[in-house]
Amino acid sequence: MSVVEFKDVSRIYKNGEHEQKALDHVNLALEEGKFIVILGPSGAGKSTLLNLLGGLDSPTKGTIIVNGKDISTLTANELADYRAATVGFVFQSYNLIPTLTVIENVALVKEIAPTPLSSHDMLDAVGLLDHKHNFPSELSGGEQQRVSIARALAKNPKILLCDEPTGALDSETGVMVLKLLLSMARDMGKTIIIVTHNQNIARMADVVVRVKNGKIQSCESQAAPLAVEEVDW
Amino acid sequence: MLLKKLFRTLWHYKAQFISMVIMIALGVGVFLGFNIEWYSLEANLKEIYTATGFADYRVYNDKGFAEKDVAAILAIDGVEDATRFLSVNTSVKDDTDVIALTVCENTAVSGVLVMEGEAYDPDDPDGIWLSDSYAKANGIRLGDAMTLTYKAVEVTGTVKGLVKASEYLICLPDETQMMPDYTSYGFAYISPVMLENAIPKPFRMMMGNSLYYQINVKSSLSKEDFVAEADRALGKTLLVLSKAETLSWAEAQGEVEEGKTMGSILPVLFLAIAILTMVTTMHRIAANEKTQIGTLKALGFRDKKILCHYTAYALIIGLMGSVLGIGIGYLLGWFILNPDGAMATYIDMPSWRLHVPWFCWLVLILINVFLTVIGFMSVKKMLQGTAADALRPYTPKRMKHLAIEETKLFKALSFGTKWNLRDCLRHKSRSCMTLFGIIGCMVLLVGGLGMQDTANAFVDVFFDQANNYAVKINLDAENAKYADAVSLAAQYEGDWGAQRSVQIGDRGFGLEIYSVTHDRVRFADENMNLISLGDGGAYISSRIARKFDLRAGDTLSFSPYGGDENYTVTVAGVLRSLSESVVMTQAYADTVGIDYTVSSIFTNQTDVAPNRSILNTQTKQAVLDSFNTFMDLMNTMIFLLVVAAVILGIVVLYNLGVMSYTERYREMATLKVVGFKNVRIGRLLIGQNIWLSVLGILIGLPAGIGVLQYLLNALASEYEMKLTLGSATYLISILLTFLVSLFVGLMVARKNRNIDMVAALKTEE
Repeated sequence: MSVVEFKDVSRIYKNGEHEQKALDHVNLALEEGKFIVILGPSGAGKSTLLNLLGGLDSPTKGTIIVNGKDISTLTANELADYRAATVGFVFQSYNLIPTLTVIENVALVKEIAPTPLSSHDMLDAVGLLDHKHNFPSELSGGEQQRVSIARALAKNPKILLCDEPTGALDSETGVMVLKLLLSMARDMGKTIIIVTHNQNIARMADVVVRVKNGKIQSCESQAAPLAVEEVDW
Repeated sequence: MLLKKLFRTLWHYKAQFISMVIMIALGVGVFLGFNIEWYSLEANLKEIYTATGFADYRVYNDKGFAEKDVAAILAIDGVEDATRFLSVNTSVKDDTDVIALTVCENTAVSGVLVMEGEAYDPDDPDGIWLSDSYAKANGIRLGDAMTLTYKAVEVTGTVKGLVKASEYLICLPDETQMMPDYTSYGFAYISPVMLENAIPKPFRMMMGNSLYYQINVKSSLSKEDFVAEADRALGKTLLVLSKAETLSWAEAQGEVEEGKTMGSILPVLFLAIAILTMVTTMHRIAANEKTQIGTLKALGFRDKKILCHYTAYALIIGLMGSVLGIGIGYLLGWFILNPDGAMATYIDMPSWRLHVPWFCWLVLILINVFLTVIGFMSVKKMLQGTAADALRPYTPKRMKHLAIEETKLFKALSFGTKWNLRDCLRHKSRSCMTLFGIIGCMVLLVGGLGMQDTANAFVDVFFDQANNYAVKINLDAENAKYADAVSLAAQYEGDWGAQRSVQIGDRGFGLEIYSVTHDRVRFADENMNLISLGDGGAYISSRIARKFDLRAGDTLSFSPYGGDENYTVTVAGVLRSLSESVVMTQAYADTVGIDYTVSSIFTNQTDVAPNRSILNTQTKQAVLDSFNTFMDLMNTMIFLLVVAAVILGIVVLYNLGVMSYTERYREMATLKVVGFKNVRIGRLLIGQNIWLSVLGILIGLPAGIGVLQYLLNALASEYEMKLTLGSATYLISILLTFLVSLFVGLMVARKNRNIDMVAALKTEE
């Protein structure tokens, strides 16, 4: 069953007279519980795809159905509710609140999520329970990224959207983070969508979507994705 | 190219740039305006004192002075000039107006300044040099004829000049009046020749020397020395009043001192807030520009050039703020001190030019130097280290754990409160400045409105409650004998009062004696409670108590002016009063043996029949109206202060709010991505403002009361006011400060609607 459907979606940015088609008549259907990688070079439109899916942006044309609901026509407040309930975000640059401790950063989502999970459990899941009273600035990059994953998961979202989650990490830490994300799909049944330009990450995905010049070039399922350890970093 | 960048960066930071210019302009403007007021008054007063030869001493003798007496005074070492002088209240023929007819033999002392018409001629047989203000109020022009009468003497002449005189700078017919009224009272100078001609020969022979009761003297001698020398020269005991004991000097200088006090406290606070906020903002702008500073350094620009480039921002802001501030200062100064304003109804000065005190220029230069140095230091800090160091974005201090975090209370706090609390502690200088801005706004409001309350309470107690009469009948000292006065008081069911001038040491004070049988006159004790006078001693005003360190039970000695007697009285209590005076009942005065002449009757009967013992009548309302002119002047200053406080509050808080918003932009974008709605994020932002406002109000309220008390202490030599704060002042100050904070919070919170989540989160931390 498709958890995400893009139907003839275009996103055009206007800059004065100039128009830039970030996405051009995109049609895409993604299944629930999969580990999906969206691959493409810089400027291909992969982040726009993720932003539209995450409710950070709205399409110029077309319809986006997430979990059976059309999100392309939602108001700003409805989009906020959607982000609070349905999707979790993990960014390349962790985006933690520097003035809140690790546990507070994760517990933050309790303020808005309808069915939040225990922050304690989420921190345990990412292996950072010992650091729960630290401030983000007291953690390494990898640890901060794990906190941001815990925060995203604490909302108990159906879909986890990750924009270059290992971009700012060394390979060893990157592997650790990817392992964590993979386990979320395998063990918790979450749909994980990762946007990256790193071809190697695609080799461990259930589905690989290739984007170029604002169009979907291909959407292929991989019957036997590699384990994280098998990927040559 | 860097010049282009300079202007573009200014445009980029336009909110901060404009608010900094406004802050400096307001700070400088208020500081300058309030100081221009007293300084200009002082300078313009000096101008007329000098131009008309305002006398340093006035020597009185009820037998009059001969020419040889002037010569004897002139012979005293240390006396520069002197003149025989006559001032007598005359009536305008066929009118009820009164003119102080003045004759001055040597107009280098106590002379006139001709505003229009002919120069004063001491030999002119029929020229009248009339007060220009009186002439204007009564439609009298040059060339008009006037007849003035005093008892049997008639003086008829032609108005040849319209003048001003320092002796009549505050032109009042007698001590019973508070405000000049040029429609009914003015002054006129005539020549000695005209005076001689006007007095019939038999009278002149009879009067002998007694035409001139006064010698006015210019001298640099101290009063003590001058009195001793004058007594020695004239061989008799004289009444000598120094210029400090005259209305035209004491009241005018009082206004100067009042302005000085007002100018030295609240405007300085204004300036301090403006400068400190500017310091914080400059530092933040430099921090925000760190990457650009690093880029320029990496490109090969020398530190010196980069420093000059960025320091120019501070200099431009300082200069623009100063130029605007000078304009505002002049405008404020003019608003308070102009020929059509409240001050002009009191002081009859020829010139109302505005002068900037020298120290204000110095302060302006220092402010600009200081701001430039601050700009320089802020950028220098960002330039430290290698080009690579400079290229790294500015990172605020790392968060540290607080001791209070272990408390249950902290753990129970909401996420928003924790977020705001830690943000305040992380950005201490910004939070402190916001707090300082709120405290400043509160202090200015409490100080300004409290001053109004205090003055209103003062008027209410002294002019409404203590003066429990409708009409004050002023008696003619020459015709009203004691029996007549007592009989009149009984007829009008009134209380009576007598006034004398006395000396305690070499200082002059008033002695007031009352017979209170109808509760028409009351007195306020130090706590502003109305009391009745007891017969067991004398009451002294709190200024006298302070000056001579006296309290109830002490004894006090004084002697009447021009008399040899010395009276010793027991202090029964301390009063708050309008004048510096010793007050006692008739019974106590009789016990001590003090001579007095009844001068006024206080009654509730408004229908007073003409009587040869009665000089004039004065309604309480007229006194209240007079004092309202003083209040108008104070209200003008307070209005300006309150408006400026609110503007400053808005600008300071908006500037810091925008700064806070910019610094937390990324955090807010994160919250938005996580699913927080705009309203919720706005509430978080406003929450910080509200917390800081509550704290600011809690500190600002007592601080404002403290500043007000300091102001009242500084004004204590002028007014015996007791600090009074009405509930409306508390309410308005708190509400206004809170509303300013909320308004600014809402303005800043609106901005979060435009947060670009994608762009904000893409950038590197």
